[in-house]
Amino acid sequence: MSKVIERPRYVCALGGAIGTIQSLPRAIPILHSSSGCGGNLAGALSGASGYNGGNYCGGQALPSSNVSERDIVFGGEGRLHEQIENTLKVMDGDLYFVVTGCMVEMIGDNVHAVTKRFKDGKLPVLAAETVSFKGNSYYGYELVLETLFREFVEPAPVKDPGTVNLWGVVPMQDVFWKGNLGVLKGLLKKLGFETNTFFGQGETLENLKNSGKASLNIVVSEAYGIEAAKVFEEVHDVPYITLPLPVGDHGTSRFLRTVGKALGVDEIKIEKLIQEERKAYYPYLERLADVYNDLDFQRYATVVGDPNYTQAITRFLSDDLGWLPELIVITDILGEEQKERVLASFGEYESGLRPEIVFDEDASSVVGYINRHWPQNQGQKYYKGFAPGVIIGSVMERDTAEQFKVPLLPVTYPISNRVVLNRAYAGYSGGLTLAEDVLSLVVAHR
Amino acid sequence: MDYIKHKVPPVREDRLMACQAYGGTCGDLSNDSKKGCLYASKRTFSQTQGCQLNLSLGMISSMRDAVMVIHSPIGCGGNLIQNAGINKVFQKLRQQSAVGLRWINTNLSEVDVISGGEAKLRQAVLKAEREFRPSAILVFNSCVPALIGDDIDGILDDLQKQVSARIVPIHCEGFKTKIQATAYDSVYHGLIRNLVGEDKSTKPAIIRTPEEELEHQEKISKTVNLLNVGSMSRIDEEELVRLLKALDLNVRILPSYSHPEDFTYAHEAALNVSICATHDDYFVEHFQKLYGIPYVLRTIPIGIANTNKWLRDIAAHFGIEEQAEKLIAAETAELNKAIEPFKAEFKGKTAFLTGGEVRILTTAELLHNLGFEILGLRGYHFDKYGEILLEEYMEDVPNSEKAIFNIGSGQVFEQANLLSKITPDLFVGHIGVNGSAAKQGYPIFPLFGQSDDYLGYKGVYEVATRVSRILRNASFNKNLGKNTRLPYRDSWYEQDPFTYIDDSASIAARIG
Repeated sequence: MSKVIERPRYVCALGGAIGTIQSLPRAIPILHSSSGCGGNLAGALSGASGYNGGNYCGGQALPSSNVSERDIVFGGEGRLHEQIENTLKVMDGDLYFVVTGCMVEMIGDNVHAVTKRFKDGKLPVLAAETVSFKGNSYYGYELVLETLFREFVEPAPVKDPGTVNLWGVVPMQDVFWKGNLGVLKGLLKKLGFETNTFFGQGETLENLKNSGKASLNIVVSEAYGIEAAKVFEEVHDVPYITLPLPVGDHGTSRFLRTVGKALGVDEIKIEKLIQEERKAYYPYLERLADVYNDLDFQRYATVVGDPNYTQAITRFLSDDLGWLPELIVITDILGEEQKERVLASFGEYESGLRPEIVFDEDASSVVGYINRHWPQNQGQKYYKGFAPGVIIGSVMERDTAEQFKVPLLPVTYPISNRVVLNRAYAGYSGGLTLAEDVLSLVVAHR
Repeated sequence: MDYIKHKVPPVREDRLMACQAYGGTCGDLSNDSKKGCLYASKRTFSQTQGCQLNLSLGMISSMRDAVMVIHSPIGCGGNLIQNAGINKVFQKLRQQSAVGLRWINTNLSEVDVISGGEAKLRQAVLKAEREFRPSAILVFNSCVPALIGDDIDGILDDLQKQVSARIVPIHCEGFKTKIQATAYDSVYHGLIRNLVGEDKSTKPAIIRTPEEELEHQEKISKTVNLLNVGSMSRIDEEELVRLLKALDLNVRILPSYSHPEDFTYAHEAALNVSICATHDDYFVEHFQKLYGIPYVLRTIPIGIANTNKWLRDIAAHFGIEEQAEKLIAAETAELNKAIEPFKAEFKGKTAFLTGGEVRILTTAELLHNLGFEILGLRGYHFDKYGEILLEEYMEDVPNSEKAIFNIGSGQVFEQANLLSKITPDLFVGHIGVNGSAAKQGYPIFPLFGQSDDYLGYKGVYEVATRVSRILRNASFNKNLGKNTRLPYRDSWYEQDPFTYIDDSASIAARIG
């Protein structure tokens, strides 16, 4: 049986699907759901994502069949047909994507039968059954990708060795998704590849449609987007690799080596690029030489959040910044196989660090793990605790940070106490940004 | 009104024949509404909106020392996530030791949908008790458990014997109604049934000497319950308390940001004072029925005219009209002098307002009083309370019968179309629709705010200063207007904004 969750950091499959679709250029989600679903999810999608907003078509602009009791008794297919027909007249998009909520699944509406009637029209109308009780936001992301790969991406028998696709950075759930995708695309460009990221700045639906000609799919996650990669491989015969989201020198250098190797890039070329990037990276960190050491800026850290970020930040703190990220709390719902893959992404640290990693979905549990890892003072004179400490997590760790009197940097979802526009934490440049942000916290109260 | 003995309150479509789709003028709406045939209209194209679960959480998630249990698949209540780390700030304004939002989602899965979610509900309530020891556990029921037939009330009755927190079931399944305001009834229903009145099973009754009892009754005879709403700021509350204290009344503020114990003696009051019929009619009428407490419900104290009406209604109840008139005269004289410069500044400017029926009509009156011409209004829904206010509004504001009136929560496509045709100088909007108007380049004044003052006499001045400030430089929105685009086809703006409102049923009702 699945568990009850105290303050979950994700919404349902429908929410994840909406967030994913509305992050595609000029795509219009059509909700076939109760009237309240879109409004309920809006705050999680935009307000909790660093005020990401609704993109082109989000929030209350989302078309929705708004089924209520009457439709639930008599069936909602007629209402959906009418809604799609009129959406095509009113809403200005290039791709329309029907997603479903719990109620219409429970009454047995066949959305595919309805969308099929629009198949020969000028505008593409896709559908996915994003039934909320079958999974959370990440599942919705997978379903949308799978549907796009099966039904929207065009067959391309001839592959282009210079083009790759990259995903696994989940729009909204990764609050810095847009910036991160841009950074990774830029790095691959330096390796000599054009990259479709689907959701990044400057992407078009044409890129997505033609992505079948890519020679490799790169999933920057050990947890998310992998099922979609299997579908892509099955339908379009493009292999995939999975690898962790990189932040900072150590993470990103590993990323470049793994991707480069998979793409058959000459090792010398890869190492040359890494050296160049390091030449730009370390002179910035060099500026910290005095302050880091004069003021003893090393910190213990607790890292809380999704598997993509927790591993990336842990490696950055451990190997780039020389900190002690000893406690990691992963808050997503993961299957056993996913957990194993994720666990494998923590390790082989230059520092030799062996962090304690726990899986727990409940927000208030974090306090308990910190107390267990750094036992509480029982009134003893000589005592070593979570000090000096820093928490890197989400806005939900605000109370916990207050309780331990340590600074908090919100990096993982949800974030409602920062505004995020094009900031990125991925790559070498993202590592510098993370160093700026986390060390600013340390100096802010001097 | 007597629904309290039922487990679940009726929806507003049935209880108030509330309308949720209309397009016309204030004059048309007033006439059509009196014929009582608006409620059946619907839309053949619609955009999303909130649900009553959503609004129930908005109203009562602020309760201090409480934990919410949302019995649903993982997404319901998702709106709370954006408040997870920040709500504490507002709670602390009412109680320093407040903690932030705490909620548990039962995370119903496919297995639960087939075999029932009752075990998870038990687990969640027991977890709330064990982990947090709250004073109350508020249980919100969503669409899925309603459809699979979980016996929520049975389980919660049983659990009440095992936990010390007061359990409050709130039945607010989204699919049951398109009128989100039904949420207020759902929340009040749960609160009245479960929190109001002393729990004599756990605490002995208070014993008073005859003298103490006399003093106690004297106090009750001058105590009013001031019903706040989630959108009311602490500064708003302070302004209304200031005015009521000037009339020598004691004030108890409920239900948003309250503590569960604040309800225990809520029936020991002389009068219930509402600031919004949309919000409170269910509560005040039941309190009258159950405890014989009269109420004031007519209007919200926004703007001079409505603040005066509100105070006069309260004073009339206590027979202190003279005292109230003195207060009103002093306050209005001072205020009128203060807003004089703004009237010159706003003369000839136009405005469009959208939000709840009660709030927009009174805010429109305020802006009219400041010199604005009101070109149009969009109400979330419309019912008999709107009908009365609209009539008063048309009496107070000359030529207002020709102004546009559109009804619909969300439905920003209609709004975008309307705005492209009537181009006001100022847009006043409820959260959720302001971003849309911003992308059309309009200066925007938010209809309410958690950190700002709107109510009473001070509210009038505050609104004037903020509107003046916002109108002074609208560059941010102007830039958006020039450089962004709303997701509608150009052809949409050429059509009638009410193209997709299907009122065939109401036309049939009118003819029949």
